[in-house]
Amino acid sequence: MILLAKIGLGFFGTALVAGAVVSSEGFIHVKVNEKQTDGHHISLVVPAMLVPLTLEMVPNHYLAPAAQNLRPYMPVVDAALSGLANCPDGTLVEVTDHEQHATVVKQGGSIVVDVQDPDETVHVAVPLRATRNAIHEIADAGGTI
Amino acid sequence: MTNTLRTGLVGLAALCLSAAALAAPPSRYLHVRVDDASNQEKVRVNIPLSLVETVIPAINHGQFHGGEIDCGDLRANGVDLRMILDAVKNAPDGEFVTVQAPDKDVRVAKSNGNLIVHVTEKGDKKKVDVTIPWAVAQALGSGTDKQINLEAAIEALEKAGDTTLVTVTDEDQTVRVWIDSRNTAD
Repeated sequence: MILLAKIGLGFFGTALVAGAVVSSEGFIHVKVNEKQTDGHHISLVVPAMLVPLTLEMVPNHYLAPAAQNLRPYMPVVDAALSGLANCPDGTLVEVTDHEQHATVVKQGGSIVVDVQDPDETVHVAVPLRATRNAIHEIADAGGTI
Repeated sequence: MTNTLRTGLVGLAALCLSAAALAAPPSRYLHVRVDDASNQEKVRVNIPLSLVETVIPAINHGQFHGGEIDCGDLRANGVDLRMILDAVKNAPDGEFVTVQAPDKDVRVAKSNGNLIVHVTEKGDKKKVDVTIPWAVAQALGSGTDKQINLEAAIEALEKAGDTTLVTVTDEDQTVRVWIDSRNTAD
């Protein structure tokens, strides 16, 4: 009985640690609502940590051209992402016209993009740390910088 | 007991005051606001200057290197623009240039520590007002001989008070660029 309890505790502990690790970099949230009567409603929540992990599995030759283009700009990308991470929360960009409304907001450790137009609403939230890791993963393809 | 309580409260008040004094200064923002009446479009951009300060030194592309822009010689026809900036800085407030042409009026002046440029185009009813704090103008010219020091200018902007830097208005559009400590443009 005690052995079973210990095994159960082991599984529970492992699941808890795995959950904590997977969610450590936050979640990417994509939500699309089409306003037509037969429109699609998509809501996707993905642990951000999975993106760089998935990119790691992509064969290098697929990412090499992108890596080559990206490498010269990595200092700027790093500076921009670290600057964004350190700056206070707030609306960075807001565009409104007679039909559309779009915002780019820094919220916590994420960049949140919301777009509303007569046909659909789109909400995308991406954690900055995961973005940085994913971009580095692409830039490192075919050899470390 | 009362004395202990009083001492504790005084200590707490002193701690609060010290914390307030040591608190970080509020973040400064560069705002851009565009209102276009012709298509009812509004654009608001609020960029923390700290972000600009972090990104600019990292750019190394074309004429942009380490926070400075290579712009050739800052001397024009043998005239040292940096020396002119120094001379104007020490000059009293007043109008330096006034041009009145049939299609355009231009006015360059110094007022309250700012370099001010007003341009009015009569044909399309466009008005441009530019206000540059002197500290920023000086910082722009503080690079090496052939470079504009953008990084120093941003640092100077961060220390400048709340200022409207650029206003452009025509029949349809209004553009305003300014700095303050608020994170919204309205």
